[in-house]
Amino acid sequence: MEFPDALFPSYFGAGPPREEGGPAPAAGWGEHGQVLEAGRASRQAETAFVPRRGQMGESWEHADAAAVPFLPPNESCCIPLLTPQDILYRGFLRRKLRAGKSGATLNFTKQLGHFFVDHPEDAFGSLGQLLHKNFYLGNSKLTVSCLSNSTIRMTALMEEIARLEARRGCPQQYLTSRLRWFSHLCRDWLFEVPLGLLADCVHEDLLLQWASLLFDDSLTGGALAWLPPRDVGAHTGRLVYPGGQAMNHLYFQDVVLKELPRARGSPAQFELNGRIRQVAATRVDGEDFVGIRSDYHCGVWRVPGRMGAAPTPLQVIRTSVPASCLTVSPHLPGELAVCTQSGAIYLWNVETGLQLLRRDPQTMFFRDHSPWRWSDFTAHPRVLSCADRTGVQCLDSRAPERCCFNLFKAGEANGCQQGERVVLPMYLGRAHPSQHLIASQFSVYVLDERLPLVPVLKWAHMMKDPPLFAHLTPGGPGRSHKVLLGASRTQELLLLQYQGERWGFRGSQSACQLVGPPQKLHSIAGCLQHFPTQLPHRHHLLQQRLSAPAAGLAAALQKDGPQESLLVFQLSEAGDVFCQRLTHEAEAELPQEPCASPPPSPAVPSPAAALRYRRWLKALSKGCREHPGQACPHTFSQKRLFTRKELEWPPGPSDLHRQVRQRLRQAMREGGCIQRWDPPAPQPPALLEPAEDLDPLSARLTKAWSRDWGQWWEERMSFNMAQRQRALRERRRRQKRARGRRSLSASFTSSLTYQSELSEPSDAAPEPLPPREGSPPASRPPASPLPDDALLSSQSLRSRGIPKERRKTLRDYLAVWAEAPPEPPELPGSQASQLCIPSSQSQLSSASQPRRKRPRMGF
Amino acid sequence: SSHEHKLNFKKSKEVCLNYIQDAMLQKQWKRAAEFLTFYIESLEKDYSREYMGPSEMIWRIGTEILCHHSHSSMKEFNSFIEQMKTLGVKRYLKVCLEHAFHLLCNGLIDEAYQNLSLAESWRFGEQTVIQDKEMKLIQAYRGLLDYYSWSKQKNILLEHDQDGFEDLSVEQEMHSCFRKAAVNLKEIIKIPGVWDLFVKCYVDLLEFYGDHNEARQVLNEYAYNSKFPANPNAHVYLYQFLKRHGESKKSLISALKILYDIVPSHELMIDFHIMLQKSKKRKRRRLGLEVIFAALDYAGWKENVKAWSCLARQVKQIVISEKHLDWIKQEWNSRKDWWPAFHFSRYLAKRNWQENESLSYEKALVAGILLGKDCKYFKYVSHQGCKTQVQRFRLLKKFVNKHSPVYLRISG
Repeated sequence: MEFPDALFPSYFGAGPPREEGGPAPAAGWGEHGQVLEAGRASRQAETAFVPRRGQMGESWEHADAAAVPFLPPNESCCIPLLTPQDILYRGFLRRKLRAGKSGATLNFTKQLGHFFVDHPEDAFGSLGQLLHKNFYLGNSKLTVSCLSNSTIRMTALMEEIARLEARRGCPQQYLTSRLRWFSHLCRDWLFEVPLGLLADCVHEDLLLQWASLLFDDSLTGGALAWLPPRDVGAHTGRLVYPGGQAMNHLYFQDVVLKELPRARGSPAQFELNGRIRQVAATRVDGEDFVGIRSDYHCGVWRVPGRMGAAPTPLQVIRTSVPASCLTVSPHLPGELAVCTQSGAIYLWNVETGLQLLRRDPQTMFFRDHSPWRWSDFTAHPRVLSCADRTGVQCLDSRAPERCCFNLFKAGEANGCQQGERVVLPMYLGRAHPSQHLIASQFSVYVLDERLPLVPVLKWAHMMKDPPLFAHLTPGGPGRSHKVLLGASRTQELLLLQYQGERWGFRGSQSACQLVGPPQKLHSIAGCLQHFPTQLPHRHHLLQQRLSAPAAGLAAALQKDGPQESLLVFQLSEAGDVFCQRLTHEAEAELPQEPCASPPPSPAVPSPAAALRYRRWLKALSKGCREHPGQACPHTFSQKRLFTRKELEWPPGPSDLHRQVRQRLRQAMREGGCIQRWDPPAPQPPALLEPAEDLDPLSARLTKAWSRDWGQWWEERMSFNMAQRQRALRERRRRQKRARGRRSLSASFTSSLTYQSELSEPSDAAPEPLPPREGSPPASRPPASPLPDDALLSSQSLRSRGIPKERRKTLRDYLAVWAEAPPEPPELPGSQASQLCIPSSQSQLSSASQPRRKRPRMGF
Repeated sequence: SSHEHKLNFKKSKEVCLNYIQDAMLQKQWKRAAEFLTFYIESLEKDYSREYMGPSEMIWRIGTEILCHHSHSSMKEFNSFIEQMKTLGVKRYLKVCLEHAFHLLCNGLIDEAYQNLSLAESWRFGEQTVIQDKEMKLIQAYRGLLDYYSWSKQKNILLEHDQDGFEDLSVEQEMHSCFRKAAVNLKEIIKIPGVWDLFVKCYVDLLEFYGDHNEARQVLNEYAYNSKFPANPNAHVYLYQFLKRHGESKKSLISALKILYDIVPSHELMIDFHIMLQKSKKRKRRRLGLEVIFAALDYAGWKENVKAWSCLARQVKQIVISEKHLDWIKQEWNSRKDWWPAFHFSRYLAKRNWQENESLSYEKALVAGILLGKDCKYFKYVSHQGCKTQVQRFRLLKKFVNKHSPVYLRISG
């Protein structure tokens, strides 16, 4: 292969990366990078230049509105995937624990609790039996006659626990003193397993789980592979993917490439004893070799050239440490590269067995804690690349103890940023025998083995999650190579094009250029809106299912006359395979207008796609019904709070009830909680008006008649006072505003105004006579008959038949909701920022806030 | 409060940026442009202390949109960039450089030149390392453009020369271009990096004015300075220079030997092999065999007929002379466990025969000698060849059969 005549200019530094950085959202746009002379037609002609990035590429357009289900849903639907909410503290406790601390707080107590509930015999077996006699769990009062003095009544404690259980997930959950006292007493001796030790172990495991939630590198490479048709014109290829509840079944499915690809026949199936992490496939000498990696086993299958021939398993190896990489040689049949997390790299030949090339638990260029290793093949069949997070080296398997050369270093030489790490290396042999793709969390690089350490191409990919999957579709002569990059957690898919082709009139190999703008493809989660409308909890389930992290990526190129289409398959961690089609018209690309806007992709799915959505959904809900109980939405019984009688409504609901119900419904619709039971903001001023309708004398007389004269007087005094205060404040504010306009900086206020602002009511409260937060309802002024007071008043509770001893509980319960809204649960990384759309509560409270507060400096 | 306000502002900025990003990644340039007009507001209250400020983002996004938007013109592009230059002091040079690139790619070389000259005169406080690098690049590109105008003048002058009259003003202009170009180009190629274009131009200038020593020194420095990356082109330029100036075989071979050490798969290895083959020294011929074997190790050479015929010729020579069979044996030892599957499988025999008959001939010869007459590749190709009654395949079969004992000596 020829080496380019001239390369794009670039600096070459040494040492650690100097450029500070981080994920920059727009870093990949607007740069040409460098330019190079493109060669001249004749001596007199003007020199033409080509940019490293920014030339026109091929146009590939979406053929459908969203990704379409390709296979029926995987049966794993009833095992929910781990979410951050499962292992992190939420609400009150989290806020308390996090005061001053940053980072996630793992909720290991919850997991401990699960253990105690699920295995009570193991947890408390012997002591439980010993204490059996001393705990009384009945409802009736203890009588001295029937029980000894050493017995205590546990009913109240049980009730408190039950109440705690009922409030699970409630942001206002707090521990009662009795429970606290009990746990304090028993902590040291009640448990069979030492509590500290158990907690340590659980916490350690949760840390691992949390790390893998943040970034799971075991999926690197992806568990989906496409075996293209034998002959160029044929339309039947094979898709290799994992499935089953534990993703431990391997399927080889024949696929007919049509408008929408279709599975043909039933797949060949193999059951393995481990979750399949990676499926790697390469064609050598007309036969496909498929490598399968699970944590402790790696296997290789051969798929013979004949159509319809069954795949045959060739060999399996077992590793004592989880394997992190498996790649199949594109040069020699039955040769693979295996890496384990202990830092070992093996060349695995099906005939001759394993050859250890290197074992080094340390990383290559500088220290990094990650045990992840990767290895791939290079242009020389005996030379393997081996990668860790700090860079990539090439090793000669004939003399493995001697390092061949450094291909990539996360340092200044490659123009890396600080903190940049290798995430995914891939050999681009099908496009060019000596090129490699190396992806970091910030950028993608193309490197040429013949000029190591200097990237021939570099581009900031701007993906929100590091790319873990990549797929290359080589372009023929005069065409660009297509690279698909896929992220796991965010399901992002990016299509890039680059070319390193002959250009101009010199006829020599050109340097690599990135062509065309990058293009985002549909994600699985994006097709949610095209499914038929669902009941809310089903919709939620579907949403959860569709937004499961991606687990693999594959693509198939199909040519049909002048039209080409690229079918992109995406696998989710739940085991579902979705596909989408991109089309490209061959004629359109040649004299392409640089500014021609692409034809818009269709907004609604085609009828065939719509049918697939419906079928898929039907199969999903059917599958879920087969496992009852798990698929139901979480509910909790109200029985512990109220009896049925208590909850019965009086025959004719009053206005107040209607209003409150409406509020409740609205809150449920918006998914928020009811913050205040007061009517909307504009109402309060109106409440005072009736008093002013009457002249003071008649009002006084009326009140005196109804023996409320004393109260009237107090009211009048406080009303007047409030009025005067308000007038005073209004005046000051006007003065302040006038001053503010004159002064340059509106952000400064004098200490005087600050004082006055301090004495003002808090923002969220309605204007006149705000009820002080936290004060019991009874102390509120009767002049403002707020609905919550009415609802909570003893009379109304009595009228509803709620017994006296429960009224307090109910009041407390409702008061809980009146306090601050819960914070949304913490999500890792950038996802949080997307989800932090102002909730309805904050909009409500800002609406009831008549004045805008100025920014105050220095306080 | 002000903190909350800041947070909200930051949040809405992020949301807006996400919309822009989304639209751009779906090639909806118009939509992205609309959102960008809102995003400009983020400049007003820029609280961020982040690595990439909003001014840079606006520059990047705006440039990208203007490159693809259907209603954008060069004039608009220029005025946008001029505004961007005043926006961020830190990135002024970068914006200028990218602007010049854009102009160059659109064939506006004079405008680009003006732009670069203007940027070169920019001064602002103390320069950072990055700004220093950018300034050097600006100067280098200006030097490059000076070189192109120099070569244009040179061509005019050469034509006039043919016509028989002289033009003093053109000549003077040409010399001034040379001076400007040489100063700037000389500067950048001292710094470690990949400067293929600049080195080539600078050497061309020096050669034209007869300064061969300086040219040789520049090329030597570019190829052999250990601070520079191991760029194969540096060695290629040096080799071509030596060849142009009729240097001795020895120095040519030593230049190529170094290239062979760093890139055994370079396309010049064929030339190197042929050169070594012609040599009378045994050591060199031995090296020639090594070179061609090493080149054929690489996947990119798998179907290179020229390389295979080179190997076949030398192997044939050695077998006929029956001298130095140990050379083949040594080379073959490290390859016999994987070359058969890599080069001489039955599948490849079939495919090579169908796609390229002469390739399969050369390979069959090598296979027959290295692996004996029972090798799958040789058997298939010679069988097919004899079937189609091609003379050379019959001779090939005869040759291999005659020298079959050689195989035993090589493999033993």
